[in-house]
Parts: sequence; C-alpha cells; structure tokens
Amino acid sequence: MSARARAGALTGLALLVMLLAPALSAAREYLQVFVTQPYLELHTGPGRGYPVFHVVPRDASVDVLFRRTDWFKVRTEHGVEGWASQGDMLKTVLADGSTFKFDLGDRAGFTSHRYEMGIFAGQYGGATLISAFGSVSFNPQLALEGSVGNYLGKFSNGVTGDIGFAHVLAPEARWSPFLTIGLGLVHIEPKATLVQAADRTEQTAYVGGGVRYYLTRRFFLRAEYKAHFIFTKRNENEDADEWKLGFAFFF
Amino acid sequence: METGLRILFLSAVLAALPGCASVRSWFHHRPAANAEAQAADQAQDETTPPRVIEPEVARRKITVPKIRSRNVEMGLYYGELSIEDFGSHPVYGVTAAYHITEDFFFQAELGRSKAGRTSFETLGGNVQLLTEDERRFTYYDLSLGYNFLPGEAFLGRGVAMTSAFYLLGGIGGTDFAGDTKFTVNFGAGYRVVPADWLAVHITVQDRVFQSSLLGTAKLTNNLEARIGATVFF
Repeated sequence: MSARARAGALTGLALLVMLLAPALSAAREYLQVFVTQPYLELHTGPGRGYPVFHVVPRDASVDVLFRRTDWFKVRTEHGVEGWASQGDMLKTVLADGSTFKFDLGDRAGFTSHRYEMGIFAGQYGGATLISAFGSVSFNPQLALEGSVGNYLGKFSNGVTGDIGFAHVLAPEARWSPFLTIGLGLVHIEPKATLVQAADRTEQTAYVGGGVRYYLTRRFFLRAEYKAHFIFTKRNENEDADEWKLGFAFFF
Repeated sequence: METGLRILFLSAVLAALPGCASVRSWFHHRPAANAEAQAADQAQDETTPPRVIEPEVARRKITVPKIRSRNVEMGLYYGELSIEDFGSHPVYGVTAAYHITEDFFFQAELGRSKAGRTSFETLGGNVQLLTEDERRFTYYDLSLGYNFLPGEAFLGRGVAMTSAFYLLGGIGGTDFAGDTKFTVNFGAGYRVVPADWLAVHITVQDRVFQSSLLGTAKLTNNLEARIGATVFF
C-alpha cells in the first residue's frame, strides 16, 4: 500500500468519524409542548406528502426532538415518534401556558435574520463567473459577508475570495437595496499557449451595490455589482467589474 | 461609464456610513425593550392601588431548551462517470446539502475521476492526446434540488423508510485536459432515509460543457451514475 493511498484511507476514516460523531451524541433535554387543538397530526416524514399515521389528542404532550426545515420531529408520551408541521406546532403551548414560538421562514424573517447563503452566475471582467456567498447579520441593516468565485475566461481562469460589509438600506422592503465594501484576493491562472505566464495571486478591494428581492418562504433573489481594484506588483493597478445574479435564502 | 459607476457606489457607501453609526442595537433584534419595560413599571406604580393580598402561587418557570435544526446533509459517493470520447471510469466525491424547505435544497459537490483513452488513441498506436495529469477529471458544482414524489420504502414486514425523488440542476466547473470549463449539470436522484441521521442516495447526473479537444468545438455530455451515503447534522 503506497503512502499516498494510506494517507487517503486515513483521511477517509477521519471524515467518517467526523460524520458519525453527531449521531452518537449523548441524550439531551427536550422541550415539552401541549396540544390545545382537538388533535395533533403526526406524519411519517418531514413533508406534506407523507401520510398521517398517528394523532395526539388534546392536552397530551409531545417532546420536540429536532427540526428539519419547517417540520418538527416529536415523541409522544407513549414513545411514538413522528413529524408535525410548523403550522400545527404554532398552535401548541408550553407547560406554563405560553405559546410555542420559533422562527418562521416568512417576510418578517427576510427583514431580520442571522444568516444568508446563496449561489450566483455572472461575469467577472468579461469571464463567466460561478460564485457562492454567505453572510452573518449583526442587525437588519449590517452584515459581514464572504464570497468565493471561480471565473472561467478566454484568456485566464481564476479564483476570487472577498470579505466585507454589506449595508442594507431598507431591510423591510420587498425590493431592498444594499451597498457593499470590502477586501479580497484573486488568483489568476493565465491561459498562455506561446509564452508561459506564471500564476499569480493579488490583493483586491471592492465597492459595490445591489438589490435583494423577497420571493417566498426563505428565498430571495439577489443581483449585485462589484467594482474590484486589483493591486498588482507592476506599475499599474488593474480593475475588474463583477456583475452577478443569484438565488439565496436566509435562516 | 465604469469609472462613473465606481464613483457613484463609493459616494453611496460614504453616504451610508452615518446610517451605520445611527444603528442603536448592534447585536440584533433587541430594540430598546428595557427602556419600555421601565416606563411601563413606572406607569403601573402610579395607577394601580396597593395589593391587599399577596398571592402565594409559585410561578412555574420554563426554561426553553434550544431546538436543534438538522438541515445539513454531508456525505460521500462512488459511481461511474462516462466522459465523452474518453470511456467510462469510476468517480468518487463529497457532497454537502442544506435543506431550505421541505421542497428545496442547495447542494455542493466535488468529484474526481480519470479519463481513459479515446478510440483515436487506441487505433493510432503511439498517439497520446493528453498527459496522465491532464486525464484527471475534477469537477465541482452548486445546484438547487427539488424534492418530489415523497413516499415510503418497505423492507419486509417491519421496516418502513421514508423516501423521495429529487431533481437537480446547477452550475459549476470541470477541470479536464489542462483547462477548467464552465459546466452545467442536471439530473435526478432517489433518496431513502433509514434513520433520522442517515440517507442513502442513488443519483444520475449529466455534466455538460464545451470542449474542442478533438478538433471541433462541441458540447460534451458526461453522464454519471452513483450511489452515496449522507449524514444529517
């Protein structure tokens, strides 16, 4: 067995252990909620298409095990486990009689949320761009954003990485514009056939803006422009324009 | 025009800076709740008469444990990839998905395979179109998935597992023959969920990119069939 194969096998094993670790985590405390409607329907799976196989009567309680998208996996007093929808869970109460509150993927969530992620297609300095972004919001107006991109052009391919701030001007509006500013790196791999040009990595800075459009549930569209300034080691700096349109969600 | 745009955006960012400073609560969704509560207390002191009987009811205090969201799915796969003109070869890779709603999920994939010899090379004797390194076929993609046909799969009398079909479509890049090509992918899969934390997938995908390796520029279809296992977090 070669050293490389062994290293590969070890990495695979480490990955597997990492993957299985959460499945083996210890027992934990669950939230208990009480049914106030005539009954609570339990589905076999986390989706409206899965059939109802059990109902929990009024005043009985269920333990909330975990959540997947808009469905809650619950366990009844008799140990029956099933999936309850977000809409039904909203009508349950806690032991002190207060309503069970949790974050819903709705328009209010679009205004104020913690995380965003999305994917884009677009152009970077004339080349085709594939890009993904993620952001953490400090408040509805201000977010820290990171994005990575891969551009594929006629004369060069490359990878970009940016980190910066986004300021959302009207977070409550369906069409909500934002401004961005930040720093980044770009790795350029020229496609030279005659002269062998070396790959290079340069620092960049950008300023830009765009607009978000709330679609439905947790989804929104995001169109963005960034003006990149590339600080080269030569006498003249370069610049590149980035236009992109993408599909994103918040959570 | 571009310089103009840049100046426009820079000045817009500058104009927005005082706006940032005016944000009162930096760490989220906690508007001046305390101030309001204090004001309410004061108002109550003035209007309500003093209590005659102190009720001796112990209020039940509920601590609400955080409900875990398990929307992330990560795993490995192995299968067969047919690289157009270069034969079929094993492919392996990693996948990560985030389930947004019961219908939609985002998925990122990174896979690797190795191309064989074209028939031209086989027939031509000593002709080598590509070096060994260039035959390495590495791709990544970002896709959107749509679940449909939810159902259940049964194993004998006692075991029922939820299942679903899904459609996939996305964009990415393929590094092959010394160049990275913009690649469009689409496909479909079948997912069986034997346990809350585990899923088994059978997926068929087509990866389409433009190639001019064999003289003329053409769209190549690279079909992939694979089986994978993923774990939910």
